[in-house]
Amino acid sequence: MDVLEKLKAKLKDINVRAGKIRELPVDERAEFGKKINAEREAVLAEIADAERKMLDTEVEPIDVTAWSGVNEKLPEFYSVEMGSKHPLMTELDRVVDIYQMMGFDVVESRQLDDEYHMFDSLNFAKEHPARDGYDTFRTEEGLIPPAHTSTMQHRVLKAYKSRLDEGKAIAVVVPGRVFRNEDVDATHEHTFYQCEGVYVSETCTMGDMLGILREFFEKYYEQKLNIRTQPGYFPFTEPSLEFLIEKPKTLGGKKGDFLEMLGCGMIHPNVLKMAGIDPTKYHGFAWGGGIDRLVMLRYGLNDVRDFESGNLNFLREF
Amino acid sequence: MKISLNWLKKYVTIPAEVSNEDLIRLIGARLVEVEGVIDETHKYDNIYVVKVEKAEKIPETHLTLCQVNDGGAESIQVVCGAPNVREGMLAAWIKPGAIVPASVNEDAPFVIGKRKMLGKYESNGMLAGADELDFGDDHSGIVEIDPEMAKPGDLLADIFELNDLILEIENKSLTHRPDCFGIIGFSREVHGILEISEPFPFVRGLELEKSHTLDSRENRPTGEPLGVVKNIDFSNSNLKIILTKENGSDICQRYTAVVLEKHGELKKKYLTWQDTILSKSGMKPISPIVDATNYLMLLTGQPLHAFDYDKFIAVGKSETPIIKVRLAKNGEKLTLLDDTEIELNENDIVITSNDVPVALAGAMGGKSTEITEDTKNIILESATFSLYNLRKTQMSHGIFTEAITRFTKGQPPYQTLDVALSCAGMLSDGFEVTSLADEYPNPEKDIVVKITTVEINALLGTSYNDELIARTLKNVGFKVDQDGDSLVVTAPKWRTDIHIMEDIIEEVGRLLGYDNIIPTLPLHLSAEKNKLFEIKRMIRNELASLGANEVLTYSFVSERLLEKADLDIRNSYKIVNSISPDLQLVRQSLIPSLLDKTYINEKLPVDEFAIFEMNKVYQKAWGLNDEKVPVERNELGFIVAERKNDETAFYKAKKYVKKLFDEFNIAVTFSPLKNNEVISKPFETKRAAEIRLRDDPEVLVGVVGEFKNSVRNDFKLAKYLAGFEINLDIVLEKYGKTKILRFGKRKYEDLTVTTSKTYDETLAEVEEKYPDAIIHPLSIYQAEGQDTKNISFRIESISK
Repeated sequence: MDVLEKLKAKLKDINVRAGKIRELPVDERAEFGKKINAEREAVLAEIADAERKMLDTEVEPIDVTAWSGVNEKLPEFYSVEMGSKHPLMTELDRVVDIYQMMGFDVVESRQLDDEYHMFDSLNFAKEHPARDGYDTFRTEEGLIPPAHTSTMQHRVLKAYKSRLDEGKAIAVVVPGRVFRNEDVDATHEHTFYQCEGVYVSETCTMGDMLGILREFFEKYYEQKLNIRTQPGYFPFTEPSLEFLIEKPKTLGGKKGDFLEMLGCGMIHPNVLKMAGIDPTKYHGFAWGGGIDRLVMLRYGLNDVRDFESGNLNFLREF
Repeated sequence: MKISLNWLKKYVTIPAEVSNEDLIRLIGARLVEVEGVIDETHKYDNIYVVKVEKAEKIPETHLTLCQVNDGGAESIQVVCGAPNVREGMLAAWIKPGAIVPASVNEDAPFVIGKRKMLGKYESNGMLAGADELDFGDDHSGIVEIDPEMAKPGDLLADIFELNDLILEIENKSLTHRPDCFGIIGFSREVHGILEISEPFPFVRGLELEKSHTLDSRENRPTGEPLGVVKNIDFSNSNLKIILTKENGSDICQRYTAVVLEKHGELKKKYLTWQDTILSKSGMKPISPIVDATNYLMLLTGQPLHAFDYDKFIAVGKSETPIIKVRLAKNGEKLTLLDDTEIELNENDIVITSNDVPVALAGAMGGKSTEITEDTKNIILESATFSLYNLRKTQMSHGIFTEAITRFTKGQPPYQTLDVALSCAGMLSDGFEVTSLADEYPNPEKDIVVKITTVEINALLGTSYNDELIARTLKNVGFKVDQDGDSLVVTAPKWRTDIHIMEDIIEEVGRLLGYDNIIPTLPLHLSAEKNKLFEIKRMIRNELASLGANEVLTYSFVSERLLEKADLDIRNSYKIVNSISPDLQLVRQSLIPSLLDKTYINEKLPVDEFAIFEMNKVYQKAWGLNDEKVPVERNELGFIVAERKNDETAFYKAKKYVKKLFDEFNIAVTFSPLKNNEVISKPFETKRAAEIRLRDDPEVLVGVVGEFKNSVRNDFKLAKYLAGFEINLDIVLEKYGKTKILRFGKRKYEDLTVTTSKTYDETLAEVEEKYPDAIIHPLSIYQAEGQDTKNISFRIESISK
């Protein structure tokens, strides 16, 4: 008898015994019922497992060194018309290209990081309420799937510090995937993409930051744009601001219709200090903003959830 | 936070040439993010003050037949259901055709009409209760209007300045500005933005020659007229306040307590200005004492709490109050005002009566000392607490009140006494101050920052002069002295956020407008290409041109998804605060997510497709890197699936992966799969291959193949299914070698070998015969019942 048959016999026996519950005194029935049910559940699980294993035993081996099956045609690629690139990825490539043209190196962000990089190294005081604004996920070990690409700032500053000694500037952008513990709807995703920028030199100013950001958005949307700022608060920049652009007419914007594109500011001296850069000699600026909404605006998309849906009816349009 | 523009204008004189639109734009550009503006300029249209001239009960009903006068010659008949309607009172009348204010934001706003009640009494419009006017929840009767404020025929909106714009402020952008969580503080900033040098408003609780508020501007004539407390004898206090420290730092910087004794009735009779302000600010009128504390909080940012004095000493079993502020002990219990009993922990700060906890400091009062209608005496608390402790309290007990929101920004302690006494002043109709204590052991020192104009301009990229900078800072209350080339800047007491030079630069840049900074571009630099990005782009272009579709899937997966793919859930990092069980584990491989999306697309249905994703994966087994964070790996996952195809899917997936390695110019081998790597788990060993580097066979680059029947079954997928997963970090390392170019004339011949060996074994024999040729597979044929196969090749020879 094979394993499966044995198990089935066992199940039959359990069912027979269960049927005799009426012969027991009433006060013992509940206890007995519980016990026999547990036994039945266990055997059913074993049967499912055995059946699953059986599925995998009756498999015809193939010659994996060959390029076609026996008596089958050589396989063909699908036609180019069926193919598509993910809009977020194509656009992220464009974003990176523009920054590269402007002289920025590219470092990709991590997807699992620690408290030190996410907060401590960015001048967030321990237990400071500002940490709550990021709705971070945490693992059992206390690791953090980063809530912003700024999680790479300290690394970038350390890795590129030698540039400053050579009399050059640090100019790096950090694209990557970030995570926030947020309810999902048409305009909110718990998983999205950001691009961070870091610039440090002896002479750079906030004017340079505004210039670089305007240049980027004008290149990205391929037209002149009106920009605007508003004060913001981030522990890792001082001063901190939000950067807005007037929604271009070609994308359905009206005059005075300003959109928040990113947060930015002059890097806080403590952040430079922690990376071993002398804040009395050098200063810098940094920014970070979402890619998803940049792309949604460009294509006129209105549901952020489509991006991670994997739905080919959506993706094959790109 | 909500800011009423009309209320704001009480505290700062807006020049006539500045429109509301300009003002809101300037606040947004120079102070804080304005998320939205609620337009209430027509919310109270057609609501009038009327006099009730006649009120006759309609027999056997709760209704009253009223004749009201709206200032016109004729009376208007209104049927009113409120018990408090009486002859001679002034009421608020909603005219027929007007909208009930509380319903303006509903899908179908409630329009008041003219109608017959009980079949015979005509009723024109309605006399409104506080709830209908959107001033809280009170539905016990209609509102009564103070005859000293209004006369019949006045518009309600004019009396209470209800035609208003309400700014919705993004609190996050004020995380460092506790002083702006009160309208007075907010107005100081508007003074600065509009360069208005008139004195700041402030609350002053004592009628003394010198205010206790430490201001940097002198001789202010203005003040909030809230009623004033007279003749307080500080020495005659029966209050004892004990503040404890934790690790040498104050958990409570300052604690002011005022005892109020009841001497008369605080009757809430008329609708008040404060009621409308509480409502516009998103709070509700509740009772005179609570309303006074809430109003002062909205005004000054300083939260207050009131204890029932007699209950307080009863709980502490002391003759006079002994207020001790300390950290809670783990496991101590406290029942809060909302009747929930919480278990305290050692981070919570508690207010105790003779060491018995009576309130969770900064968060919520306790039930045992609750103020009720019978309260005779009150202890009014005005204090500040460690924001770090309160933040933990907020998190561990889930308390998010208006008070704790302000405390966790770090309220400055300078004004606790004035706010407490202002509150006493507001309640002076019914209560008088009998005792007062103010414990402030370590007052803050002045914050002084030295800075030069050169430093300011160097960071901002501006050319502001000394005079402009000094004036700008003085406009928001800083004291500025010149010391040689330096400016010596002293922060006002309410600015707890000022510490370093950059904070002063922020003030200057912000108040003068970041938008006035001219955008410039620094010198152009050259950049290095990022190779990983290059490879990913190349793969993306290649696979898309071969008809495959790029997808993105979540980095977090469910236990069930991993189990379906035969992966060990213990090898995944686990999220403790996941949104749902579907997003609990950090993924180890891209394949399970792709199989999941394959199912979705087969269901759509899409008959044939190939999907791929490039993303990062993590496995616990890989451990941590030098930075003590988990080792991460970049991978490419690919699935090909068809709903109606009986052929062997394996070879299609293999064709795709081979094409990529040709493009990478990396030589790889395909050999039967040994199921001992995590990456191999979902694959069927008899129908999958390992991909190894030809030059370094130790290195497993990836796996290509069909999946176990059980896996395919669990994901409910059609039979034609195969895929691959490859490690892009290895590709990155090996990629970039120059391709060997072979020029010359091509000659093709076909060759068929009858054999029982594998393809690769046969190929090796053919290669031996044609050492310089390129050998392409053609077909494999096996006749029924035969042991041997015919393997055909196409030989491509190149001659020079």
